[in-house]
Amino acid sequence: MKNVAKNHIVVPRRSARRFYGHGIPGVDLDQLAGKLIVVEGADGSGRSTQIVRLVQWMENTGHATVQVGLKRSTLVSEELEQAQHGNILSRTTLSLFYATDFADQLENIILPALKAGFVVLADRYIYTLMARDMVRGMDEAWLKNLYGVALEPDIVFYLNVPPEELVQRTFAKNAALDYWESGMDLGLSRDMFDSFMKYQTTMQATFRRLQASYGFTIVDGMRPLDVVNTELRKKISAVVAGK
Amino acid sequence: MKTFAELNFPGRLIAVEGLDGSGKSTQIYLLKRWLELQDLKVYFSEWNSSELVKSATSKGKKRELLTPTTFSLIHATDFADRYERHLVPLLRAGYLVLCDRYIFTAFGRDVTRGCPPEWVRGIYSFAALPDLTFFFKSDLEVSLKRILEGRPQLKYFEAGMDLRLSTDPYESFRIFQGRILEQYLAMSTEFNFLVVDANQLVERQQAVVRELVAQQLDLGRFRRAESVPAPAPADLRKKAKVEEPVP
Repeated sequence: MKNVAKNHIVVPRRSARRFYGHGIPGVDLDQLAGKLIVVEGADGSGRSTQIVRLVQWMENTGHATVQVGLKRSTLVSEELEQAQHGNILSRTTLSLFYATDFADQLENIILPALKAGFVVLADRYIYTLMARDMVRGMDEAWLKNLYGVALEPDIVFYLNVPPEELVQRTFAKNAALDYWESGMDLGLSRDMFDSFMKYQTTMQATFRRLQASYGFTIVDGMRPLDVVNTELRKKISAVVAGK
Repeated sequence: MKTFAELNFPGRLIAVEGLDGSGKSTQIYLLKRWLELQDLKVYFSEWNSSELVKSATSKGKKRELLTPTTFSLIHATDFADRYERHLVPLLRAGYLVLCDRYIFTAFGRDVTRGCPPEWVRGIYSFAALPDLTFFFKSDLEVSLKRILEGRPQLKYFEAGMDLRLSTDPYESFRIFQGRILEQYLAMSTEFNFLVVDANQLVERQQAVVRELVAQQLDLGRFRRAESVPAPAPADLRKKAKVEEPVP
């Protein structure tokens, strides 16, 4: 009788919550009943595909989900897109613009969803923003203060795929490398391929540095999609169950 | 934090701060005219005026989308854009840069809105300090009267309505401005504000401002180089002569 009534839906345990720094004024952390799950990784790491699958799986297992990602805020996403297109903003400005985009989603989507007990899946979080800025020579302490507004997620996956493979996957899809993902603004090389390889290698090294402070769960993204997805599910199940 | 002079910039930055209605914009305008008419290299920059960021800020304000955190960040973005693209290059080129509001506006407003002071100051730590900061200190009632005399339509964020201090915009504005004034006064010594009594007549204030500027800066250094017109190439000169109208 009891087993049938339970219907195999796992009711999440409360997480111990904290902001990385000063946080958002006036937020009661004890009220955030949901879970925040972050998937990080370069373009071509399989990030978005994994998230689509995770959403399907979560909904199938009875969890309400919300998705967030970079450059998706109501407040500044359009302007940010425009700025990036023209490549007219200098680094501190672009950095703060992205931080505004993040904070808007944090306050208007992530925190309310967590309060309502949703599972929030973030397609990248502050770490990509920090890594990009660090590669561009921004001060790490400045970035840590800035992103002290961020809520610590329940788990952060980093899909690790070496640049050699990223470039192959990108070409299989687009036949062109993205200006920003190649770090062309940095002037590493006039050759886009060389620039991409150098930039992605530096980004990975920066992520490894951030790993020390933020403790990502590193996932080997070189394996087949299903294998990676199974690993993610297993770890997320443990998080939801409060283990 | 260091001033531009301490950082060996050839240019100098003068900022004005004060409550809405303190008359600071009038004062910096008159200062600008005075400097320009001496043929000095002058650039003027206003708070919240970067073209690109403006559209996001006005959308956020119109639709009341801003929280204290995003309000703070979007203004920091605006400031950074002006700082990196205009202020720093012009100061490198030896300009006198005049700013109607500088980082202290953010320190005062954002902290009043509930943002942690260390967080706000940390964000603006990329900016050097002004070489001169004038603070136009008016009695709260004088500022309020100047702004409220015409019973203008007070804007939501300007009146601090987002803080829910009062449902009446005028009352909210009063409380909000009062708190910002407290923040300004607390910063006054720390950041060496040159305090100008803004309850005085415009002319009297301007005399004080000009005297202090002349005293503290070697204005001759900012004079535009005598612009000797470059001689036109020989063939062009000839051509121009031909086309000269016959009187």
